[in-house]
Amino acid sequence: MRASALVLLAACGAGTVKPSAPAPLPAEHQVVLDTTPKERRRMLPPEVYLRAYLGWFGGLAPLDVQNRARPKGLFDAWEDYLSALGLPDYKIDLPRQTQSNTLMLATLGRLGEVLCVRAAEHDLHVKTPLDQRVVFAFDPKAGSLDEFSVGFDVLHRTFLGYPVRLAPADRAQKFYALFDEVRARHKAKNPLSPDETAWAAVCAALVQHPEAELY
Amino acid sequence: MKRRTFLQLLGASALSRPLWGAVKHTEQYFIFIHAAGGWDVTLWADPRNERKGLVEPASTDNTDLTALTHWKKVALDSDTDTFEILAPSDVPMTFGPGIGDLYDLRDRLTIVNGLAMNTVSHPDGTCFSATGRHLAGGRAPASSIDVAIANELGVSQLLPDVSIQFPSAYIGDSLDRRAIPLRVPSAATIAKSLARSDAYFNDDDRASITALLTDEAHALAKHSAFPETYERLAAQESALPKLLGNELKAAFTPQALMAAYPQLDYKAKTLGQGALGAAFAVEAMKRNLVRVVSFALGGLDTHNQNYKFHAHTQQELFGTIATMVKLLDDAKLSDRTHILVFSDFCRTPQINLAGGRDHYPNNSALVISPRFKRGRVFGKTDHEQLLPAGDKPLSPPDLLATFLAAFNIDPRRYLRDGDVIKDMLA
Repeated sequence: MRASALVLLAACGAGTVKPSAPAPLPAEHQVVLDTTPKERRRMLPPEVYLRAYLGWFGGLAPLDVQNRARPKGLFDAWEDYLSALGLPDYKIDLPRQTQSNTLMLATLGRLGEVLCVRAAEHDLHVKTPLDQRVVFAFDPKAGSLDEFSVGFDVLHRTFLGYPVRLAPADRAQKFYALFDEVRARHKAKNPLSPDETAWAAVCAALVQHPEAELY
Repeated sequence: MKRRTFLQLLGASALSRPLWGAVKHTEQYFIFIHAAGGWDVTLWADPRNERKGLVEPASTDNTDLTALTHWKKVALDSDTDTFEILAPSDVPMTFGPGIGDLYDLRDRLTIVNGLAMNTVSHPDGTCFSATGRHLAGGRAPASSIDVAIANELGVSQLLPDVSIQFPSAYIGDSLDRRAIPLRVPSAATIAKSLARSDAYFNDDDRASITALLTDEAHALAKHSAFPETYERLAAQESALPKLLGNELKAAFTPQALMAAYPQLDYKAKTLGQGALGAAFAVEAMKRNLVRVVSFALGGLDTHNQNYKFHAHTQQELFGTIATMVKLLDDAKLSDRTHILVFSDFCRTPQINLAGGRDHYPNNSALVISPRFKRGRVFGKTDHEQLLPAGDKPLSPPDLLATFLAAFNIDPRRYLRDGDVIKDMLA
C-alpha cells in the first residue's frame, strides 16, 4: 500500500503539465491591413458648420446670433446669406448648393469673425467670471509664448478638438506671431483692448482653420 | 543687325508669346443670360404679322403699344393693326418690335430659330437649354454651359463662375472644384458676403489671418494623403485678401454699381434687378476677377392679360443686353466677351381665352460673339404652326455643342447629345 502510494505520487509529480501558449497556426497567406484614407477631405454640409458655430459660441439660437451680431454692421440677417452659405433659398427658388465654394468660405469667415468679437466682448472685456465664459475660459495673459500657449490650448481644444501639443510643433508659435501683430496694430483705438482684439483674431483664425473646415 | 542679336530677339519674342490657343482662351469672358419665363419669338427673332394656320400675331387687340419704339403699324384687318416686320437692308435678318435697342447692333447678332424643345415645363425647358439634357426626376443630369466653360477656361480666375439666379448645375466627379458656380440671388449678396466691418479688425489684421491660414493649409498638405484639397483651400485663402479689400467690396454694392453704370435702366418695370447683374458682369470683367457671369432676366411668363406688356418686357430685356454690350465696347472687352441668351421655350402662336399665350415647344436663342458668324439667322420654323422645320431641326444640345467647339472644347466632355454646326462658326 505504501509502495503504491509512492509510485502514484512519483507519477503525478513527474507528469505535471505547465500551461503554455498554443503554437501559432501555420500561415496560409498574409492580409495587408490598408489604413490609408480612401477619399479626399471635403467640406461639411452648411448646416453642420452653422450648428458647430452656434454650439462653440454658447449654444445660441440662430436668431440670437442675428440679434447679437447686427450692431456696428458686423452682420445682417440670415436671409441675406442663405445662398452664400449653401442653404436653399425658397423665396427665389434657389436649390441647396451641393458643393462648397469661395463665397461660402468668405461668408463663414464673416460669421466667425463677428462671433469671436462678440465672445471677446462678453468673456474678456466685461471680465466675466471664468466659469461663466463661453469661449475664452482662461486667464488671458500673453506676455510670452508660454503664457499665450495656455490660453491657446483652450481655444485649440474648443475649435479643433484636440490639445495643441499634438498639433505640428510650430502651430502655437505661428498663432502667437499673429497675436503679436494684431496687438501691436491696435495700441490705442478699438472698442476692445489690444490684447482682447488679438485674442479675438486668434479665435477668428481658428474657426476658419483648414482642420475646422474639412473632415 | 547681327545674326546673333536677331536670333536672340526672335527667341525672346517666341518665349514671351505663348501658343495662339493659350492666349486667346485665357483672356475670354463669358456672359450667359436666362430670359426666364419663356419668350414670344414672334415678337423678335421669328417675327409673324399675319394670321396663318395657328398663328395669331401680336396686334392692337392684345398688345399695349405705349413706349414700344420699334412698333410700326400695319393693318391686320379692318379694325386691328399689327406691326411691320423690321427687315434691314444691311443684314439678311428680320425682327419684331420686341428687339428694342438691340436692333442697332443687328450686324453683331447670331440668331438661332426653330430649336426643338420637346417640353413645355419651365424647369425642364430651362434645364434643357442650359445643360442640353432634360431633367432626370427633379435634378439636372449634366453640368450647365457656364460650369463647362468655367471648368475649361476659368479655374485660374479668382471667381470662375458667378451665377445670379441662373440655372447652373455642377455635375460629375471629373470637374475641377474651382468651377463650382457661386450661386447667389443678386449681385448685392456678393458684396454683403465680402463686406467686413472695420470696427474691430482692419484689412491688415485680416491679411495676417489669411496669411497664417494659407501657411497652415500648405503645411497640412505636406502631411496629407490627398494634398490637393488643402492646396486648393490654401489657394482660396490666399485669394481672400483681394476679395475682402475695401475697394472690391465697395465696387459691388448696388449703389456703387448703379453709380458706375447709370446707362442701365435699374428702374425698368420688370427687369430692374436683372440690370444689376449686367452691371456686375461688366465691372467684374473690367477688374478681371471672373471668367463667367450668368444671370437671369425674367418676367416673360405671360399667360393672360399681362401678355399686353410682353413686348415691353422684351424691349427692356434686349435694351439691357444692348447697353451691356456698349459698356463692354467702352471697356474694350467686347471682342473678347461671348454672350449666349436663351429662354425656357417660346409661347403659343395662338392667343388663349385669357388674352395671353401659353407654353410652346419651340425656341430661339441669341449669340453675340466674334467666334460666331454675325448678322445671320440659323434654323427655321414652319409658317403655320411655329414648330421647328427641316429634316433635322436644331435643338439646345446642338447650340451648346457649337458654343463649346467655338473655343476648341470637345463637346463630348460635357454633352451626351448635340452636333457642332460648323456653319455657325466664324
